[in-house]
Amino acid sequence: MRDEETGSWWQQVSGEAILGPLKGKRLKSVFHDELTFATWKREKPQGRVLKPDEGVAGSGQYAKANWEERMANVPVATSQVLDQSLKPRTLVVGITVNGAAKAYPFDAVLKQSPIMDDLGGTPIFVVVGDDKRSVRAFERTVDGRKLEFFLKPGSSQLVLADAETGSEWDFTGKAISGPLSGQQLKKVAVLNDYWFDWKAYNPKTIVYDLGGR
Amino acid sequence: MTTSNSSFPGRKLAWLVLLVITAAILAIVLAPVWIIQPFSPQTQRGLEWSFAMKRWSPILTLIAAAAALMLVVWLWRNSRGWWRKALLVIVFLPVLPATWLARQNHFEWMFNPLPNPAYAMVNEAGFVDDSDIVLAIEFKGEAAAYPVRQMAYHHVVEDVVGGTPIVATY
Repeated sequence: MRDEETGSWWQQVSGEAILGPLKGKRLKSVFHDELTFATWKREKPQGRVLKPDEGVAGSGQYAKANWEERMANVPVATSQVLDQSLKPRTLVVGITVNGAAKAYPFDAVLKQSPIMDDLGGTPIFVVVGDDKRSVRAFERTVDGRKLEFFLKPGSSQLVLADAETGSEWDFTGKAISGPLSGQQLKKVAVLNDYWFDWKAYNPKTIVYDLGGR
Repeated sequence: MTTSNSSFPGRKLAWLVLLVITAAILAIVLAPVWIIQPFSPQTQRGLEWSFAMKRWSPILTLIAAAAALMLVVWLWRNSRGWWRKALLVIVFLPVLPATWLARQNHFEWMFNPLPNPAYAMVNEAGFVDDSDIVLAIEFKGEAAAYPVRQMAYHHVVEDVVGGTPIVATY
């Protein structure tokens, strides 16, 4: 990105100015979610959505609905030596906690959600929504107590329960019933990324091991 | 004949300078294009060079183009033979588009920002499918979503959410 005022060049992933008068400055990162529209609008019925530009939409220049499938075959550009176990365009959920980076292959998240883990010394978990697309991560320590979450079967929308108190939690990380009702889990930022790209910006990343489960 | 002979070394030098200037203009304009190719990794050093060249090339190409034009005019007056004049034109021709290109950012031709972004409430947002992915933020109770299909085209959208100016990028 380039800013009009100083002409500095900014790296999109990090928000850092890499060239120009503002070199070394970093934009403050804003917590964001990457969700399906269905999930977002259920949570935020009063929200507002960016409208398409009529000229661009009219001439059919916006990406088609299946554009991500077609991207799977686009060649990659990287100077990193990639782990042989993952293809460059494997979709991963990238998480950084206290400087420790970890990539969770999206397929593993789909299979094992919710995934209990510890990253950078912090107990966290990764969970996919009932749309099987939206991924979120949370810290799983509440009032100094480490919790273990599992999916509550038989509910129409995603409901999690913790093994320690039996409280029930929704996809926003809020306890909706039980002893911890009203508590909000701390959100952890996730980045849906291609493996080669995540590795380029996080060279020391570890990869979540699917294991034998 | 005597005048023509005495100006010959000067002419040779003028030709040499003209060729060097033309080559320099083309180099400073085309090098960043070559260094920053899409779908190929870049190095910090390559980017630094490109950035410096993009920064200085508008003024440098203008000065160089003016100098080249003066040399061409002078050589034109002192050259006989249509082929010499034709050669002058051929050497000078690339200078003009290169000087123009120095004022352009060809990377930004590919990407069209959204200068006046407009928003719809959820119940009016028929243009987004339920399965489409959105980037979502919330500030002070104000929630905004940026559909990825639009973001993949515009790449950069500026907004103010809950009083905080933000830039959404993809």
